[in-house]
Amino acid sequence: MSLSAASGSTKSQSDWHRRHDLPWLLLFVVPAFIIVVAVQFYPLVYSAFLSLQDWVLTESQTPKGFVGLENFVKELGDSTFQRSVRNSVLITGGALALQMTLGICLAYLTMGASWRMRAVRTLLILPMVIAPVAAGTLWRILLNSRAGLVNHLLSLLGIKGPEWLAHPDWAIVSVILLDTWQWTPFVLLVVGAAIASIPDDLLEAAAIDGASRWKTFLYVELPLLMPLLLLTLVFRMLESLLSLDSIYSLTFGGPGYSTYTLTYYIYTLGLRSFNFGAAAASSWIFMVFASLSIGLVFWYQRRDW
Amino acid sequence: MNRQRSTKQRALALAHGLILGCACLAVLIPLAYLVINSVKLPREFLTVPPTILPSEVTFEHYRDLFEDSKTVRHFRNSLTVTLWTTGVTIISGTLAAYGLARMRLSARILAGVTFIFLFIRFYPRVTTVIPYFLVMRELDLLDTVWAIIIGQLGITIPFVTWLMLVVFQDLPREIEEAALVDGASVLQRFYRVVLPIVMPSVSAAAILTAFLSWNEFLIASSVARRKASVLSMAVAGFVSDKGIQWGPMAAMSVVMIVPMIVFALFAQKYLIRGITFGAVKG
Repeated sequence: MSLSAASGSTKSQSDWHRRHDLPWLLLFVVPAFIIVVAVQFYPLVYSAFLSLQDWVLTESQTPKGFVGLENFVKELGDSTFQRSVRNSVLITGGALALQMTLGICLAYLTMGASWRMRAVRTLLILPMVIAPVAAGTLWRILLNSRAGLVNHLLSLLGIKGPEWLAHPDWAIVSVILLDTWQWTPFVLLVVGAAIASIPDDLLEAAAIDGASRWKTFLYVELPLLMPLLLLTLVFRMLESLLSLDSIYSLTFGGPGYSTYTLTYYIYTLGLRSFNFGAAAASSWIFMVFASLSIGLVFWYQRRDW
Repeated sequence: MNRQRSTKQRALALAHGLILGCACLAVLIPLAYLVINSVKLPREFLTVPPTILPSEVTFEHYRDLFEDSKTVRHFRNSLTVTLWTTGVTIISGTLAAYGLARMRLSARILAGVTFIFLFIRFYPRVTTVIPYFLVMRELDLLDTVWAIIIGQLGITIPFVTWLMLVVFQDLPREIEEAALVDGASVLQRFYRVVLPIVMPSVSAAAILTAFLSWNEFLIASSVARRKASVLSMAVAGFVSDKGIQWGPMAAMSVVMIVPMIVFALFAQKYLIRGITFGAVKG
């Protein structure tokens, strides 16, 4: 981060800065500041307050009173909550493993500045720009067990496709597939940019030393890419955990509760059952985990690699 | 050289091409199938095997959609939300970023500000959606586009401020110093000197904001029900209804996807910079 505040600024300049510039600069920040406080920080504090209250909108128009940590205790013991956590871990874990592997491979395979590679890259990033709700409906059409394209293609290979969206386990796989289809391009892009920035002479030196391509990757490139790969992993982990849209339109949480993720669970608990207290409490349990991950990203980004 | 390539090299090149071909097909086939579905006759849905090449191309689903006042309203709401969110975000976000960059804040404070941006980008948004719903209920703004716009601003403004902050920090201060000697005020310097230079980044930020706003679902679906509902909610709505209307659902998805694909093809560089921002610097 470049902070050239002191460089070249004489005393009179900084005096000018204080008297003439600073009021304007402060004024510039005010609108953004007000919106962020009103739309982000106030609701955040409000939700912390709600998490300690007993309030179900369908039973009462106002909070029924302070209940301490009762909401948290109830939620942690709730079987749907636990199931949602398990689903989130499975979905995000599976999707991350797939998209990191695929993304890194594709980043290597699409290296280069030829028009052909550029065209391939442009094409491959398209899933990422599609609205997640639309991607969900798209895969809902594709994965239809009887008349869907996926099972038809599988049958051409002599495989009998599963009941993708109707079977609890396959529904989880479906969500993983969708997340992988949509977000592998992200890994491809980030890793591709990183590979391009590795100095050529490093690779040439390795080649001259007689290292095979695979060994060069393992001992020269991978260590250089590692920090960025971890960063990408945490990025994708958070985004995948927080996504609601695609599950909403692909499985609607079903069948039953089998694809309820933590985000989906909190959303329905709060905005469909209107159990504000319980929803706020579970969202704060989620928040603790997310904050730790965000802290990790922050710490990583500020280190000089 | 080329003639002398060994069989092994040729096999590798072939494998390379095959893998990339498969990857491209994995992207193209689903998209093509969606488009095909949107022009299929209703009786060709749910056939076994699926109808890949429809016997007849029909635009009835699109016609039905756009003759339905509901769809027209969804479309109009989506446009209103996207335009307002983008406009307000770009103006206030760019100004705020410039202010922060030129305020001569200490490194510690700037780090704190960056952390706040990072936090807002990644904390579980579902935490604040419920209180936000309650606030909007209190203000009697539920089911209005304003509730959606204000809610989205809370996400897009910090993001754009962060993006632009990096841009302004990388801009050498000497560029402005000449204008400073002329006694130009901050506003003049910003408008005449700085803004023309950073315009490409501002466009990138605008494209990214429009993209986020157009695709956004969580906030819209939590504060809007009927009157203010937007396209993303309409697309999701086809599923929760009993009995899926395949044709309209596909057509609606196409309507939603196409503008973003056009964006992606024409402003690829900008969009990519925005989407990967934070993971890749600059």
